[in-house]
Amino acid sequence: MTRVNYILKEAFTNIGRNALVVLGAILAVFISLTLTFGTLVFGEVVRTNTVQWAEDVRVIAFVRDEVTPQAIADLSTEVESWDEVRDVFFVSKADALDEARVLFANQPAVLRVINENPDIVPASLRIQPEDPKDYSTIVVRLEGTPGLEKVQSAGPAIDAMIALRDGLRIMFWLLALALGVAAVALIANTIHMAIYARREEIEIMRLIGASSWFVRTPFLLEGSLEGLIGGVLAVAFIVIAQQMAVDRLTDLPEWINLAVNNDFMIERGALVLLFGVLAGLVGSSLSLAVHRYLRT
Amino acid sequence: MIRLENATKVYDGGVVAVKDITFDVNKGEFVFLVGPSGSGKSTLIRLIMREEQPTHGDVWVAGKHASRLPSWKVPHLRRSIGTVFQDYKLLPNKTVFENVAFAMEVTGKRPSVIRSQVPQVLKLVGLSAKSDRYPRQLSGGEQQRVSVARAFVNRPLILLADEPTGNLDPGTSVGIMRILDRINRTGTTVVMATHDHAIVDAMRRRVIQLDRGRVVRDEARGVYETVQEAPVAEPPPPPVVAEVEVEEVRSEETAPEPVTVPDDATAETAVVDEGDQA
Repeated sequence: MTRVNYILKEAFTNIGRNALVVLGAILAVFISLTLTFGTLVFGEVVRTNTVQWAEDVRVIAFVRDEVTPQAIADLSTEVESWDEVRDVFFVSKADALDEARVLFANQPAVLRVINENPDIVPASLRIQPEDPKDYSTIVVRLEGTPGLEKVQSAGPAIDAMIALRDGLRIMFWLLALALGVAAVALIANTIHMAIYARREEIEIMRLIGASSWFVRTPFLLEGSLEGLIGGVLAVAFIVIAQQMAVDRLTDLPEWINLAVNNDFMIERGALVLLFGVLAGLVGSSLSLAVHRYLRT
Repeated sequence: MIRLENATKVYDGGVVAVKDITFDVNKGEFVFLVGPSGSGKSTLIRLIMREEQPTHGDVWVAGKHASRLPSWKVPHLRRSIGTVFQDYKLLPNKTVFENVAFAMEVTGKRPSVIRSQVPQVLKLVGLSAKSDRYPRQLSGGEQQRVSVARAFVNRPLILLADEPTGNLDPGTSVGIMRILDRINRTGTTVVMATHDHAIVDAMRRRVIQLDRGRVVRDEARGVYETVQEAPVAEPPPPPVVAEVEVEEVRSEETAPEPVTVPDDATAETAVVDEGDQA
């Protein structure tokens, strides 16, 4: 028991003694983990928003007027069985007309043409791909199908969005990784300095016959504690910042949604904390491993 | 208790510190290692405490084959050895009491044991009144006495002292020697490296003389140099400061006995003329 007390006491008095160095380490962990966690959260915001967009990707196949309802139903069933298709909706001429009236409400000239010739608005199949990337395959498979007037999709726009989404995803991961490595290096450096500051004490401990773990544990504990404190601050900071962003940035365009689901915050937040502690442990172990004062 | 067999230590770069050293030290002996700087005294001390391993040969300490001991067992070996250094090696941010207690904390002694043992040892070295002072508030002699107290508080089988009086004036040195002698009489084996002629000549204990890494003389009740006339031993200084009982001594044959420790002032008058600065 006395050893446990001793080790706890040592870890804390060392933090007190090297307040400035320790503060530096905690801040370093805090900043790196804030950036790491912030990157993850921002990545999640981008993901949820692109998911919304991806949900909205449709291939539209206009159906000729002479096609019978039976033939449309058959085609719809067939298309729906394709691997790359998630769902198919049929929009009848009447529905399409209503849709067009809403869509062109602000354009009286177009509205007038539609109202005068309700027949020009065609019925269509709206096909939702499994993955937005699949749209081109669907377009190719549909082309030349009898009874279809024209197959349409927002091709280049979809490609650009996909590239953006994947690029951001990779960038965020690389950024989070680099920041994590920086956190470990900073903690390692701090522990290194703490050991250097106490090299006399360590030498004496070794001469007196302190076991290796007895000398090392306070440093490991100190490292993980610094990692934990930095991590808690980082998670708190991001959670508050995210909440404030949702509350304050109310005049954003409707299609941007800053809210992140709670499970994600809790899950990744815990992961960031764990990472902070691990960074502290790894940092201090690395430092202990290379330190000459601890060699026997 | 200590046995070296053909121990040779060659440092990186080819410097031969000690060469083919063989000797035995029995339990309860008091041995001086003497010789000029660079003769290998400190290397021998470091071999015994397994701070270094011999390049060739073997070292046994306290029944353990020290030179072959795996490094994870070294702490255990060190607990049977107390060490005193020329530069005291005290922790500046701990009080006298805490410095001595540190040696017990490190080896996992219970707080109640620490609270009872530390004052006893501080009494032995005559520092009971200064247990709350910090090292910087003490004289060199007092700091060295703290260091001796720390080395002895765990009642080691062996006490190693590397030039313990090297930074002290002759009078203060005598005070330290009294304490080492007292510790030796509790049955603790003492090995002390020194080049202090006066002390060696006054104590008349076993002397192992080194020269350029070799043993050139090993003599019971020796003096520092054979060519010199042995000076007359100084009269024993009268008991002044502390009367202490050393309890729980390791050795069976030594019953607890009252201990007298002279203070520095008294000791100084006793030997101040003895110091022949060679």
